[in-house]
Amino acid sequence: MEKTKAIVIADAGPIIHLDELNSLNLLTGFDKIIIPETVWHEVQHHRPQALHHAADLAFVRQSALDFSPQVDALTPIYTLHAGEQEALHLCVEFKNSLLITDDTAARLAAKSLGVAAHGTLGILVRAIREQTRSKSEVLELLCAIPTQTTLHIRASLLAEVIGKVEKNT
Amino acid sequence: MTTRVETKIPDQLWQQAQNMVQQGRINNMDALIAEAIRRYVESHQQILSERFIQEDIEWGLHGED
Repeated sequence: MEKTKAIVIADAGPIIHLDELNSLNLLTGFDKIIIPETVWHEVQHHRPQALHHAADLAFVRQSALDFSPQVDALTPIYTLHAGEQEALHLCVEFKNSLLITDDTAARLAAKSLGVAAHGTLGILVRAIREQTRSKSEVLELLCAIPTQTTLHIRASLLAEVIGKVEKNT
Repeated sequence: MTTRVETKIPDQLWQQAQNMVQQGRINNMDALIAEAIRRYVESHQQILSERFIQEDIEWGLHGED
């Protein structure tokens, strides 16, 4: 399958949640997957096994080189953590970036910066569009979120999401 | 680090805010505005996070990377 041009900059949440679902390889359809250095440490602390296959999945461990004043300005407003800050600095550095995060504040900051951002659920559902997972496989993963992952999602909202996926694909 | 912002606020609301500062209920107008924004952001976290999930599903199903 042809890879898209987007460079993924990953926050810790989706790395952990996708690994909890044994679905980290859903990120490999992108041109490049960058794990900011700070995020790498966070994942290593909370779920080290998620990084065991980092080399096979071509994850690139990278520090931000340019520090955006806009990200610095947004940091206290959205109470951004170190990993989110570095991820956003990298997003500004790479123009065609896609931030993968499950953190609302980080997504708000990304919006302010004009950076595209999506979360774990987006990556899961995208797998149907990209034909890397069947609809039934993705539905199974969505159903497993409450029991198999640390991602919090209101039960009725998850049911709504599942209904939408069933109906739309 | 702080950011300087310029904004327009309805006269009556501004007056109410000034009264609160004068009564010593908060240190100054900067602190009041920052607190108001922080509370707004916090109170909207749940609504926003759910809206972002809806956006994710749309992107996942029909979007482009």
